[in-house]
Amino acid sequence: MRVVILCSSPYSEAGCALTARLAQLGYIPVGALTLPSWDRRTLLRKVGQWGLHDSLHYAVAKLSPRKSTIQKQIRNPYLESALRHGDGVFRSVRDVARTYMFPVVACSAQNSPRAVAQLKQWSPDLAIFTGGDILRDEVLNVPRLGILNAHLALLPEIRGMSSPEWSLLCGVPLGITIHLMDSGIDTGPILLRREFAGANDRDSLAGLRNKMIAEGIELIAQAVAGLDRGTISSVTQADREKDSQFFVMHEQLKAVATRRLTEGRLTEGRSKNDRSKNDRLNPVAGKCDGSGGFNG
Amino acid sequence: MRADERSQTQMNSPESSSSRNFMTTRTVRALTEAAGLLRAPQRIVPLFSKLASDGLRTTFEHRHLYSYVATTIPTADALRSAVNWILDAQRPGGGIAAYYSFLTGYSDSYPEVTGYIIPTLFDFGRLTGDLVARHAAYLATDWLLSLQMPSGAFPGGLHGSDTGPGNNAQPSVFNTGQILQGLVRAHTETRNAKILKSAVAAGDWLAAIQQADGSWTGPAAYQGTAHTYYSMVSWALAQLATESGHARYAAAADRNIDWVLAQVQPSGWIDGINLRGHPAYLHFIAYVIQGMLECGILRQRDEAIQAAAKAAWVLLRKFETHKRLLGTYEPDFRGGQRFACLTGNAQMSCAWLRLFEVTGDLRYLNAALKMNEMLKQLLPAKGRRGVVGGVAGSYPIWGAYQPMRFISWGCKFLADALMLEQRLTRKFEAEFEAKFEVKPETKSEASGCA
Repeated sequence: MRVVILCSSPYSEAGCALTARLAQLGYIPVGALTLPSWDRRTLLRKVGQWGLHDSLHYAVAKLSPRKSTIQKQIRNPYLESALRHGDGVFRSVRDVARTYMFPVVACSAQNSPRAVAQLKQWSPDLAIFTGGDILRDEVLNVPRLGILNAHLALLPEIRGMSSPEWSLLCGVPLGITIHLMDSGIDTGPILLRREFAGANDRDSLAGLRNKMIAEGIELIAQAVAGLDRGTISSVTQADREKDSQFFVMHEQLKAVATRRLTEGRLTEGRSKNDRSKNDRLNPVAGKCDGSGGFNG
Repeated sequence: MRADERSQTQMNSPESSSSRNFMTTRTVRALTEAAGLLRAPQRIVPLFSKLASDGLRTTFEHRHLYSYVATTIPTADALRSAVNWILDAQRPGGGIAAYYSFLTGYSDSYPEVTGYIIPTLFDFGRLTGDLVARHAAYLATDWLLSLQMPSGAFPGGLHGSDTGPGNNAQPSVFNTGQILQGLVRAHTETRNAKILKSAVAAGDWLAAIQQADGSWTGPAAYQGTAHTYYSMVSWALAQLATESGHARYAAAADRNIDWVLAQVQPSGWIDGINLRGHPAYLHFIAYVIQGMLECGILRQRDEAIQAAAKAAWVLLRKFETHKRLLGTYEPDFRGGQRFACLTGNAQMSCAWLRLFEVTGDLRYLNAALKMNEMLKQLLPAKGRRGVVGGVAGSYPIWGAYQPMRFISWGCKFLADALMLEQRLTRKFEAEFEAKFEVKPETKSEASGCA
């Protein structure tokens, strides 16, 4: 199967770990398409997402000479097994590409004509999205089977960004969904949908997300193998048209979600009364909706 | 009436029935205001400082999906700052200035805004125990009572202008409605029969001149035409119905809401702002939404709440995606002018917060928290009286809506939004804790599941 990886940056840890994991399983990509790491837009977004301190720490870990320990070079400890390579660690998709001999191409935008042309040249059966832009039809239509995304929540309940956090706040079980991307936000056909049982009351939100990303990589690998063997098929989302997208969560709400996580309140959902009131007065209400791949 | 006053009046709740050559008006206003700067050169440095800071900020700021997700300025501090701006703008007679201009300083008192700032001052007094704010609300109420016309109406325009309170006073539907909000709240707080009598007279006048279809047109309506943003008037009437127990005001409010609902488009856009010579500023779009939502809540009209929610959701998506709302919109929320109408932003925050309260949909609360954060970051923390704590008409300050001015109704809506945020976040956190209260036996189950 011809697989292409789409990354938000060559240094994307999730993209790097996924690529390495697939290669370990024998699915060596025919190419990886990444966005640039050092453009102003990406840097400012990362600083906004992680804060200045964490962003600097990440940059130092990725770019400093390889003197630090492996643990210090990896932001998400649950990806260590995928990122370990001999005595070292894959710090970028380019490291993986050098080992497994496939090309890495940087483009200014994943929807750009250059990116589309490159994708067509690789003629993939399947692409895997690990972060970046909202993809347009020109890109979505290139791979024969489609583009896979691991969404860090159960679909269709939670679409959009900050999806683990919204799951906690809305009382929806934590979960991961592997789906094919379409022009909507997390509205594409579902391949795998699993509840996530790995959370515990010692987790922080960041820790929970790290665990879910690692689990998502394993599920993606399962989905790729399943598609290759023809043992899994996709199911269209029932309420695709419902506008049920969540957006990045404000830290004040994240604090509430954190309390729910750390106090072990993971099994109780919203009451039926809440939902019926919501749905009656709010024409845009989903069951509790939202989006985002490994970024979700 | 000075040209700048007339223009200001028209921009907020205008009630002149004659059509104007707006280009000429704008030119006259610009010249008049520039002359004002020559009369008070001490404002030159603050003006250029603001121009420079907004220029730098708009050049280098980068908004993305993660913008405004962190609290950088405590809400209580920003709230105190905005209310202090309002208190500073109160004139000795009790009226509150419409704006502070870098070019002309404080304006005359503005009855309409003074009226609907009264609930804000009472809310702040209740929240913080601040007696100064309550006293300011009493003063404002007394001043407004002195302006009421024999018909029960209140005049449009700034106090002292030739169409404002005075010999040539022209009654105004919109201003009467906005003032009615203040009177109703003042009566709730004081139980003063004189205030209720005044409110009832205003309500009677509004009901009497209402058209059969529920709209208001004629000489007391701006440009003589019906406007959907007069849903704010029906909100005031619904409040009066609750306060007085008289069904006729509720019926008038319902009639107007029916008319507004007839203007709702499939996109969620609500036609009928009808401001000839002006674009549809976000301020007016938000007025339509707020008026319909609040009236819908009071009158238990689900279809009004749903229509308001649909329009509010369109704007929420735009804000969450781009972390900005345009200063104006074309019909069906198509493109518009790129400056920010800060007042409209604060109003949308109020609408989202109320929709969260009504529907329980956390996405509204989430967006409002971010919007409030953006607005807090744009409040001047330092500067002269009239500037510090003020909400500019536009961001950048030279934008098309109330350029070079800090406006009292902007501070009012920001204060409302911040107080709503405080109340609803506390309530949500308490309810969330109660809903997911961990009993000893369920805690072990939950941990087991995890």
